[in-house]
Amino acid sequence: MQDRLESLASKAREEIGRAGDASGLEALRVRYLGKKGELSAVLGGMGKLAPDERRRVGEIANRVKAEVESLLAEAQERVARAALEAELEAPPIDVTLPGRMRRPGRRHVVSRTLEEITRTFQRLGFDVVQSPEVELDLYNFESLNFPSDHPARDMQDTFYVHGDYLQHDPGGIVLRTHTSPGQIRTMLTQKPPIRVVVPGKVYRADSDATHTPMFHQIEGLLVDRTVTMAELKGTLDAFVRAYFGPDRRTRFRPSFFPFTEPSGELDVSCGACGGKGCRLCKQTGWLEILGCGMVHQNVFKAVGYPEGSVTGFAFGMGIERVAMLRYGLDDLRSLFENDVRLLEQF
Amino acid sequence: MKVSVEWLSEFVSPLPAPEELARRLTRAGLEVEGMDRPAEALSGVVVARIAAASPHPGSEKLTVTQVEAGGAPLQIVCGAKNFQVGDLVPLATVGTTLPGGPAIQRASLRGVESHGMLCSGKELGLSDDASGLLLLPKDLVPGTPLAKALGLEDTVLEVNVTPNRGDALSHLGVAREAGAVLRLPLQRRLRTPAESGAPASDSIRIEIADPVGCPRFTARVLEGVRIGPSPAWLRRRLERCGIRSISNVVDVTNYVMLELGQPMHAFDLDRIQGGLLRVRRAREGEPLTTLDGKQRTLVADDLVIEDVRGAQSLAGTMGGADTEVSEKTTRVLLEAANWDPGTIRRMARRHQLHSEASYRFERGVDRTALPEVLDHAAALMAELSGATVRRGRIDLHPRPAEPRAVPLGRGEVDGLLGAPVPGEEVRSILGSLGFAAEAGDRWGVPGWRQDVERSEDLVEEVARIRGYEHIPSVLPASSGTLTPEPSWVEVERRVRGALSGAGFDEVVNYSFVDPAVLPWVTPRALEKLGTPVGALALKNPLTPQQAVMRTSLLASLLSNVAFNLRHQPESLRLYELGRSYLRDPHGGKDLRPVAEERLKVAGVLWGRRDPRGWTAKDATNDFADAKGAVEAILSALSAEELTCRLARVAPFHPRATAEARVGEVVLGWIGELHPLVTRQLELPPGIFAFELEFGALEKVARLSPRFRSLPRYPAVLRDLAVVVPAAMQAAEVRAVILEVGQPLVEDAVLFDVYTGAPLPEGQKNLAFALSYRSAERTLRDDEVQEAHRRIVDEVQRRLGGQLRGR
Repeated sequence: MQDRLESLASKAREEIGRAGDASGLEALRVRYLGKKGELSAVLGGMGKLAPDERRRVGEIANRVKAEVESLLAEAQERVARAALEAELEAPPIDVTLPGRMRRPGRRHVVSRTLEEITRTFQRLGFDVVQSPEVELDLYNFESLNFPSDHPARDMQDTFYVHGDYLQHDPGGIVLRTHTSPGQIRTMLTQKPPIRVVVPGKVYRADSDATHTPMFHQIEGLLVDRTVTMAELKGTLDAFVRAYFGPDRRTRFRPSFFPFTEPSGELDVSCGACGGKGCRLCKQTGWLEILGCGMVHQNVFKAVGYPEGSVTGFAFGMGIERVAMLRYGLDDLRSLFENDVRLLEQF
Repeated sequence: MKVSVEWLSEFVSPLPAPEELARRLTRAGLEVEGMDRPAEALSGVVVARIAAASPHPGSEKLTVTQVEAGGAPLQIVCGAKNFQVGDLVPLATVGTTLPGGPAIQRASLRGVESHGMLCSGKELGLSDDASGLLLLPKDLVPGTPLAKALGLEDTVLEVNVTPNRGDALSHLGVAREAGAVLRLPLQRRLRTPAESGAPASDSIRIEIADPVGCPRFTARVLEGVRIGPSPAWLRRRLERCGIRSISNVVDVTNYVMLELGQPMHAFDLDRIQGGLLRVRRAREGEPLTTLDGKQRTLVADDLVIEDVRGAQSLAGTMGGADTEVSEKTTRVLLEAANWDPGTIRRMARRHQLHSEASYRFERGVDRTALPEVLDHAAALMAELSGATVRRGRIDLHPRPAEPRAVPLGRGEVDGLLGAPVPGEEVRSILGSLGFAAEAGDRWGVPGWRQDVERSEDLVEEVARIRGYEHIPSVLPASSGTLTPEPSWVEVERRVRGALSGAGFDEVVNYSFVDPAVLPWVTPRALEKLGTPVGALALKNPLTPQQAVMRTSLLASLLSNVAFNLRHQPESLRLYELGRSYLRDPHGGKDLRPVAEERLKVAGVLWGRRDPRGWTAKDATNDFADAKGAVEAILSALSAEELTCRLARVAPFHPRATAEARVGEVVLGWIGELHPLVTRQLELPPGIFAFELEFGALEKVARLSPRFRSLPRYPAVLRDLAVVVPAAMQAAEVRAVILEVGQPLVEDAVLFDVYTGAPLPEGQKNLAFALSYRSAERTLRDDEVQEAHRRIVDEVQRRLGGQLRGR
């Protein structure tokens, strides 16, 4: 019996030493140490032995079992290490194959610019409101101090809309030529203090490289008891720094709009040449970006605010122009063709 | 308006360099948009005296000249013959580049050296005469730059005058502004004519039948007029300002208009019949041939000047052919009148007659200055045409301008500008612009400033002459009442984010579309597909393809698909977030929007699902992709689950379209385009689309979803596969599972759909992954088993489904 144990041990030593993988080792473990394994088979005959003999053989059996177990553990370690090495040294994958992704869609450059600018004014404490695009002549012109024959109407060629289906006569209907009727609607529904921006589409009957019949504007309006031009200037300066960057300078100069008095236009130093003069800014060093002014008292009168009870400022900015300047676009009309090859650039 | 700096300096001097002048004017609100130096083209051209001339030894056509041009004599070979020794001619020196020509170089012409080129008027761009050398006046000094010698050195400013500033549409007006910003006095020297002979009123009678249209009419009579060309200095000034020289008489009217801002008209007095001119409104349908030779039909709102024959000219807009000044004219009636701006504006529009005169009258011309302007023009005309001016001025003034004064309270300037301005500075600025201080803090408004009506206008005058750069820059003290951001802003952001993530490029389209498209895209009952749609229509569209307001974003998106297909993309995913416009019979009442403007989100899908790639499957976009985009939107909004049910709605395919809802809120539609639509719009098949109401998305969005505690016990997963008729909607099966599985079934996710062998035709297998969970304890196997069996039984019983391998 002792011999059988010894030969079992030597056979196990040899076989474990030869084993090359984890599954082979597992098979050996079962064969030698399992419940129905060889060691158990040998020990099964121990009952016939004399007590002394049984104790001695028992010791031998325990030693053999321990040895086989330890051999198995070592071999497992060796096999695992070899497997790891083989795994690490196998040929590499092709990392130059393209990644697997769904290309995110792009924002349209105009709507993106409109959102960026709107958000900048939100940071400056302006609420965002919406206003209709199909508008009454009353709100687009009349309430904004455009008398019916005023030459200022030459500045805008207006789209008029048929109103024959209406069950009443509200006067002329236009596609709003500016976001300024948003001022009127806001003031007709809110009491001062008011601090809003109105982003959206506007329309003028004009089409060439720098004019499209539809474009976007953002209107700003601030009304309170005593608002000053210095505050208008401060707001617009803050906007320019927040949107274009701290190194851009502004130039504020007089202009004319029927619904503001005094009126002004704001130029921003040209970002392409740093204000030295280049093709983009037509050698002037300045880019005109918005019109603004102190709300005309006739406008307050039109919305029923008692004369002299409030003052305010308003401004309106063309979004496409800003987008063109910011992204170097040259033909406005291409923005609305929606060629995906252009859309995907932004 | 074009402004000659040289001319301007007659009124204000000394002027700074043109660049500085332009900057100062721009800062004061007269934006200088461009500058032109007409003499720049002549740099390098000098006055030369021909000292000697001899025939060219090698050519009969050429002459060899020796010229003096300041320095050593130069030898020039010349092809012209129209000169004599001693004549002064222009010399383009070596290195000069003539307009449209090459640089002048030293050259050898048939063996004779030539050091420059003697020029014709045409070569210099000074005249159209190319027949010979331009012979210069004898009193010029050889060697002088030609531009300087001829007084051509000038800068022309292109000034953008805002519509309120009709007063600045003249050299005098611009000079007044320049004087104010430069703090220089305005020099204004007007001529007065020497009068002789019988009173003017003996030769002509003037009547104003419409004082509203014609508040004032002044005129003078000139006799012994000799029509001829104007002198060079006058022609040059006109031409620099963009007006063609015609004759001395006509030129004077234009010259004085550019100088003082008052448009004028010269009648041939002998061609006015009946000794009478009368201003009246036209009769409807009255004919008139205007100076441009056009026959016009007038309307009752038009204002005309007539003689006994009838209308002779359109007042303030264009003269008539019958009373026009011609070469034979000897007696002139010079008219300087004032016309109602609105009337002129309507006439100019109606007859497409936008002239220099109408441009100014529309913006308002000062009628208080008429007599002196008329006199100035008459004196100049007399001088240039050798005429005498008859005694007396005709001056009808039925509507004298009321003197106007505007209050400017103390503190008003400071209050509006937000910065202190010394009272002395306010007075000095207003004074320099012609405003007159009156008692009680009021300022008299000069006649030419019809735009100034209220104190804010005066504040603007002060602010702009000081320069807006002197206004401080401060943030507003008023914060208004800050309110939470409206939810639509955030909903919009999330919708865009979801669609970007799903690979949709955003488009932005014109709101007006082709009316022919609307019947094929408007959402409505399927039966109405292709029938007319009542949409908002433009009265004056730019093109017939942009004539109606879109009733669906698909009108635009489908045109984007058509446009992009020209470039053979392998797939398209586009979305737009914008408004559609519907008629509202009660729109425009009070604050109600005129049209029903509905903000929508729509998307289109076509072509490959994934771009060609090494791992991509060759699958094309289908209904599930469109639906997936909608699900992505709802997921981004943390909305409840999307439910879809078959719908029959235009412009979608009746077999492949769903009404999309969340709970009871209908969002819109998802589906494949109807084949008639793709055929009609010449699009390929396989276009899927969705269009959702933004308002509905706002309703179902849960921008602040409530927290739910995480499950504490594990879920037990079981699959369920059931064979049902192919036409059965999976949602029906799922609804039964969820209902019967209450309360243990947490969710049932469809993970496989199978048709084909071994299933019989018309059957499909749906496989769901069910998760069972209790909030109170870990579920026992037998409980799950029991619930699962109940579900299986019910699905079979209610839907006739057969169970396939559990």
